[in-house]
Amino acid sequence: MSKFTYNDAEYIVEPSGYDIRRVMPDGSSSLVAANLYYGLPVQEAEAKAQALVKSIQPVGIKVVGPDITRPNMIGDLKIVGPDISRPNFIYWDKDSTSFPKSS
Amino acid sequence: MKMKDSVAIVTGGGNGIGEAVAKYLVKNGAKVAIVDMAQKNIDRVVGEIKAMGGEVIGVQANVTSEADTAKFIKATLDAFGKLNIVVACAGIIRDGTMLTIDKETGKVTRKMGLDKWQPVIDINLTGTFLTLRDGAEAMVNGGWEGILVPISSVNKVGQIGQLNYSSTKVADALMPKIIVGEFQMRGIHNIRCVGVAPGYTATPMLTGMNQDALKALLHEVQIGRLVEPEEVAALIGHCVENGAIDATTIEITGGLCYEHGIAK
Ligand SMILES: NC(=O)c1ccc[n+]([C@@H]2O[C@H](COP(=O)([O-])OP(=O)(O)OC[C@H]3O[C@@H](n4cnc5c(N)ncnc54)[C@H](O)[C@@H]3O)[C@@H](O)[C@H]2O)c1
Repeated sequence: MSKFTYNDAEYIVEPSGYDIRRVMPDGSSSLVAANLYYGLPVQEAEAKAQALVKSIQPVGIKVVGPDITRPNMIGDLKIVGPDISRPNFIYWDKDSTSFPKSS
Repeated sequence: MKMKDSVAIVTGGGNGIGEAVAKYLVKNGAKVAIVDMAQKNIDRVVGEIKAMGGEVIGVQANVTSEADTAKFIKATLDAFGKLNIVVACAGIIRDGTMLTIDKETGKVTRKMGLDKWQPVIDINLTGTFLTLRDGAEAMVNGGWEGILVPISSVNKVGQIGQLNYSSTKVADALMPKIIVGEFQMRGIHNIRCVGVAPGYTATPMLTGMNQDALKALLHEVQIGRLVEPEEVAALIGHCVENGAIDATTIEITGGLCYEHGIAK
């Protein structure tokens, strides 16, 4: 059994048929995929599991609405609502650490 | 097209008809992505399919979101490398009449609000559109043979109390005609579209209802019982394998009869 963390969530890759589980905040676990990489070498199965998790839980998809820690200002006026000049893109393959805030 | 070794996406696959379809496809050798809003439903169905020895992934997603739709298509391609079958089962009801009239005064006391109208349109119509659109995009770009299956309902004929639901289901029933016409126009000949319109089906929603009301419903059904979700699944399986069925919506109702005209 191996573990990896992606986008603040912990995942477990189980050797029996290589099920992938996500560890939920309350300690319970939820099944992401089952019987996927049976027969593959462990390392390869783990790499595939990580790639799959990244497309199932893409970073950015949970960002809904404006970034209130970085309000849009026009002079003194704080603009509420999304900043279309700096949208919340959905990055399929970059996690929050590999894509830091640019300003 | 053979079900064996094909890859399917079933939205609403965490319960009812979608669950039965997913399990039927797996039993016949397909690999399946279960897409549902409810993580609890996904966990149960993915676990049960795993126990059957099936290859399956579960993706929590809202079918009304373009981003979520792109997400579950990509996840399926990442896991299984292709896509052949898309069944758009996610659907809801929010019943009520358009107007409620006060018996004494004859005046309107309530109107169907957007809170009842919009979610039904968003999930049953827009959700089905997005699922079929992006599923077809993946099939065309990948060059894979495929079938798109919108789920209509026998209530597409116009069920009182379901102005919202019937409006979506008549639209879902029409989709195969338009989509296949457009495929023909664009020279796409390896992707079919077949709708399925179930009658009263024994999903928890119906079996859990007031048993007297259920009995009354069954008076309208010629075979005298509810349609089983597995029977709907078997019809979809047949549509997958029979390459001549295309550009139509097939009813599976057990012989639903209207005693008092079309709008019951
Ligand atoms: N049960 C019937 O008698 C009957 C009859 C005719 C047509 N239908 C149609 O068949 C389809 C399935 O019905 P059912 O009875 O199995 O329903 P159900 O309620 O048992 O299952 C529907 C599933 O869809 C999921 N879902 C709902 N909204 C979603 C969303 N926005 N995104 C992703 N998933 C979502 C739910 O979580 C649920 O797991 C629906 O389109 C319904 O209109 C059902």
